[in-house]
Amino acid sequence: MLATGALTHSNCIVGQSDIWTMISPFPKSASAAGEGHIVVRLLPHDVSALESITYQYPLKLISPTVKATQQSVVVFLLSYGGGLVGGDQVNLRIDIQSLARLSIVTQGHTKIFKPAIPGTITRQKLSVDIQDGAALCLLPDPVQPFEGSLYEQGQAFHLNGSASLCLLDWVTHGRAARGENWDLLKWTGRNEIWLKNQGTGLKDRLLVRDTVLLDGTPKSAHTMPLREAMHGHAIFGTLILRGPLTNSLGEFFRTEFSALPRIGARDFRTTEERQKSAERSALERWRATRIQQESQDGVLWSAANVRSCMVIKFGAATVEAGRNWIGSMLAQEASLERNFGEDALLCVR
Amino acid sequence: MSPQIRDEGADEDAARVEAEIADLEARLQSAKERKERLSRSSPSAASNSSNSNNNDNDTLARSPSPPTSSHHFLLLLSDSALPLGSFAFSSGLESYLAHQRSSVRKTGQQSRPSFTADFLPLSLSSYASTTLPFVLAAHRDPTAVADLDDQLDAAVICTVGRRASIAQGRALLGIWDRSFVSSSAAPSSSPASSASSTTAAAAEVLKPFSALLRSAGSSSSPSSSASSASATATATATGSDPQLPPPVSAHLGPLFGAVCALLGLTLPQTAYVFLLSHVKALVSAAVRASLFGPYQAQRVLASPETQALITAFVAREWVTPPEDAGQSVPVMDLWIGRHEMLYSRIFNS
Repeated sequence: MLATGALTHSNCIVGQSDIWTMISPFPKSASAAGEGHIVVRLLPHDVSALESITYQYPLKLISPTVKATQQSVVVFLLSYGGGLVGGDQVNLRIDIQSLARLSIVTQGHTKIFKPAIPGTITRQKLSVDIQDGAALCLLPDPVQPFEGSLYEQGQAFHLNGSASLCLLDWVTHGRAARGENWDLLKWTGRNEIWLKNQGTGLKDRLLVRDTVLLDGTPKSAHTMPLREAMHGHAIFGTLILRGPLTNSLGEFFRTEFSALPRIGARDFRTTEERQKSAERSALERWRATRIQQESQDGVLWSAANVRSCMVIKFGAATVEAGRNWIGSMLAQEASLERNFGEDALLCVR
Repeated sequence: MSPQIRDEGADEDAARVEAEIADLEARLQSAKERKERLSRSSPSAASNSSNSNNNDNDTLARSPSPPTSSHHFLLLLSDSALPLGSFAFSSGLESYLAHQRSSVRKTGQQSRPSFTADFLPLSLSSYASTTLPFVLAAHRDPTAVADLDDQLDAAVICTVGRRASIAQGRALLGIWDRSFVSSSAAPSSSPASSASSTTAAAAEVLKPFSALLRSAGSSSSPSSSASSASATATATATGSDPQLPPPVSAHLGPLFGAVCALLGLTLPQTAYVFLLSHVKALVSAAVRASLFGPYQAQRVLASPETQALITAFVAREWVTPPEDAGQSVPVMDLWIGRHEMLYSRIFNS
């Protein structure tokens, strides 16, 4: 399979097998590596379906067959061998037409290997266009940069006014089993949310540009190693929410953030009083358990409204703790599963 | 500026900035010595050196090499008495200390929080990577300050940090409008003075920005996450386009760069003063948080390590375009964002 090189793979899920050949912008002779394009549209009876899906090595896209009951199209974003080697470039474009819904998941961590030739940067680019009423739920597994890896990820989301987006971007400290702990050379993750200007002549408006720059290159004596700068976190993540389909989730995070116990406060209640107040609603019991778990797992998080997007940042002492935390938050609120189907949350449980 | 050009020029630029900084430090030193001499000299000594110098700072004209007005403004802008209200903000220090304390309580580890070995380098690295590129870009082109301000506003992803940045930016704009413009443009008695004519033109540069800020001022409250969240909710609920963020917010970074450029400070001076002011604010906050006393504070400020840190971070960001700015210390976002969760607070950030 690896030897097929830049052959264009394609499959068509809609059932009209000639559609993709007409629409695909990539001629079969295209030499650019890792190009991909997904177009999703709404079929009658409110079923989202793929209009076209094309990809090239090292990118691989798989979508299970369409079900009449599905909330959204699910596409697995894969790479051959489950990782990207030095110099691999992936360039994926996604168009989600009006009212259609797409969920993107992965199968296991995206491993970023150390490049064979020093200085070669591995890049992933994602460019998404979401029309009015349409939605994307992007909940992949975290990126796992290995020792010595050089990685750049740029994701740009262009949204119409009533488009919705749920985006998770997270990175781990590497292969813990091999003693790696933020031993990467460089990791850059940039997420841009643009509000499209549908009027004429005006530019799109940048709503959020969230950039994380991790630099593990050997430093001068004055600056500290990346490992120390990460302060005991094994995973660091960003969840960005925007649009009507994510409003309730955003509100949930805001409420939960406000409900966190004050740092440095003392609890002067007696054990009896505490037990009494523990007999509360299901949500309050869940919250109490979660907060205890957060404290045990070293989960730190914050939520902020940034120019009409909700941005949640979190870090945890172990990768699993980070995954459990975000998974339990999303499961408790449940609107993502309702709006996108349970497969959309494959990577966070 | 393409990444390729930056790569090629990085070494050269680093060397250049080292030289410029050495030069700047020498000049700062000599300016400080002159200031010292001035304050010690008697009024009679001042009167017999009444040689008319073509400089609009006649009071400084006694030194062997007459300083320019930019020296004067360099000293004003680096003064901790500059009324930006910086003393109200700890840039995450207070939150950092609370988090360290609570993790010590939980784990029982005796890892005392260290200001000079831990928080100071992390905070400075973070501040340089997120904000310094905007300062430099605004200095290189003060007319672009509105666009830079909007880009920075999209990149500041935490409410507390945004509040601090905007409060100080607005204060600086106020100082510019009320104090710097009028006092430096006033001496029309010396029409040949290039400094005053530059300032007269310079006064116009920030006028459109002030106008934009005033027009946006009443319609939105960017510092309040709660109100903008509800505004978004109502906007999306009614099906109309979500409310756009205000055109400008007046963040400190871009305005500082523009004001320094308009007052004749060089680019290296501007960058150094910007980071040094941050160090001074942190050290001052540390004193008030009872981490150490005023002598230790001066020792931290004077230390070669602090100087080397500032120099290294200016060199690191010298050619970073604002689009590539980002968070180099992700945990800083958590500390600053979670400042709101502290039980007791003496700072606003």
